[in-house]
Amino acid sequence: MEYVNPLTGFRLDGRRPNEMRQIRGEIGVVAKADGSALFEMGNTKVIAAVYGPREVRNKGQQINNQALVRCEYGMANFSTGDRRRKPKGDRRSTEISLVIRQTMEACILTHLMPHSQIDIFVQVLQADGGTRSACINAATLALADAGIPMRDIVTSCSAGYLCSTPLLDLNYVEDSAGGPDVTVGILAKMDKVTLLQVLLEHTKQLECHRGA
Amino acid sequence: MESSEGTGGLSGEIEVEAYRRLFPLPFYERHLLESVRPDARPLNRARDTTIALGPVASADGSALVKIGDTTMLAAIKLEVMTPSTDAPDEGSLAIEFQMPPICSPSVRPGRPAEVASVISKQLSDVMMSSEMINLKELSLISGKAAWMAYLDIYCLSADGCLFDAALLSAIAAFSHLQIPLVSVNDDGRVIAVFGELPEAKLKLELVNKEKRKLSLGSKPFSLTCILHEEYILADPNAEEESIMDTFVTVVLDSLGQLVSIYKPGGAALANMSTIKACIALTKSRVKELNNILSESLSEMEVD
Repeated sequence: MEYVNPLTGFRLDGRRPNEMRQIRGEIGVVAKADGSALFEMGNTKVIAAVYGPREVRNKGQQINNQALVRCEYGMANFSTGDRRRKPKGDRRSTEISLVIRQTMEACILTHLMPHSQIDIFVQVLQADGGTRSACINAATLALADAGIPMRDIVTSCSAGYLCSTPLLDLNYVEDSAGGPDVTVGILAKMDKVTLLQVLLEHTKQLECHRGA
Repeated sequence: MESSEGTGGLSGEIEVEAYRRLFPLPFYERHLLESVRPDARPLNRARDTTIALGPVASADGSALVKIGDTTMLAAIKLEVMTPSTDAPDEGSLAIEFQMPPICSPSVRPGRPAEVASVISKQLSDVMMSSEMINLKELSLISGKAAWMAYLDIYCLSADGCLFDAALLSAIAAFSHLQIPLVSVNDDGRVIAVFGELPEAKLKLELVNKEKRKLSLGSKPFSLTCILHEEYILADPNAEEESIMDTFVTVVLDSLGQLVSIYKPGGAALANMSTIKACIALTKSRVKELNNILSESLSEMEVD
């Protein structure tokens, strides 16, 4: 299938290979949460809410010199094309929850809030590729809205390689095409990488190119 | 125990906030004496309600409803299934109500909120017993294929009156629902046809000729009222629900007929006149909600 038109160079949705989808962010969407945000990357819509710092529910997990960060990722039943039967608790959701937790934990100044718990909840309302990145972006906004001290803002995006062209910000069709894809999360001002996940699905050889 | 005016304006305000947290019931009772609530609403007025139709593009019908700060997102997805043998020309409806942990600080991940199961059951009962949806309309080929409608309602923000908002979002989603086109493929299986029909596919026999909406009977709308001593507060928010625990939910349909009354115990006992007053409040609320819903529907048609 022609993911990149050889004549015009446009992708399936009319973008150029190095063009992101339209992004939109809004904070303060959940009234009862300490911080919340709605983040959209193209058709992917994600809502994040932060509760904390608050008292640790499970005393056994309390850490004496820093805050405990917990994260849960859920997808709405109607978020994907076919209705999902098990929106939480499946392996993919557990893995993404872990990834988001570790990414945000790296940038929250947890030593400032010992004996407390910070809960980050992310709910995907519409999934069209790049949900992991949209969740991290939404979580960052929600943490900022909650006033939780952080080292830096974490931003994330995904990219892939199809039809011999590197493509930025894959949507669902491009993501399921079978090419390799990478998700990167960086601390914006400090210019440091906090998350790097590469999935090489069916590529037989890996070529390494230095980017500009 | 009375809060006294502080010497500076700011210290006076802080005392009021502290009083509100420490003695919530006397704080409210002082307001109720003046027939008003802390958010300046009179006792019988509901909060501002908005309905947005079609926020979820991938679903066949969807609606986002906000009553004050309570936000509900409902979406319907249709799948083809074989109908059961004792009802060969009826489709079926599955309703699920969920409160993800984002909506409220009291919901813990891993353990669904108690109130979510109660509301889920109530919603199922009300939607099945009100005659809004005729399951025969969900049939495709008698005995062989029918639509299974999955209605998922997610609470995105919980600030009181969850059942009212959930019911309204379900009704709005059904009003917005458009049944997609289907055709029978070579194996005799019914498949849904998405998007534009290319010329080659026109040889497939279309079971229904055009996208259609369900014709809905009279729609049920509800209002929850809180009873405290001799006061009736309509459409409580989460703070009011937490300090006064007796509530009555009345469901009426748009023709004014009673669908359900739900009063699950509570400290305050209600006599008949109180229940009648709640029903009267619900009647005016039903008119209001019907107007809001018809306005949103007509805005959609103009697009």
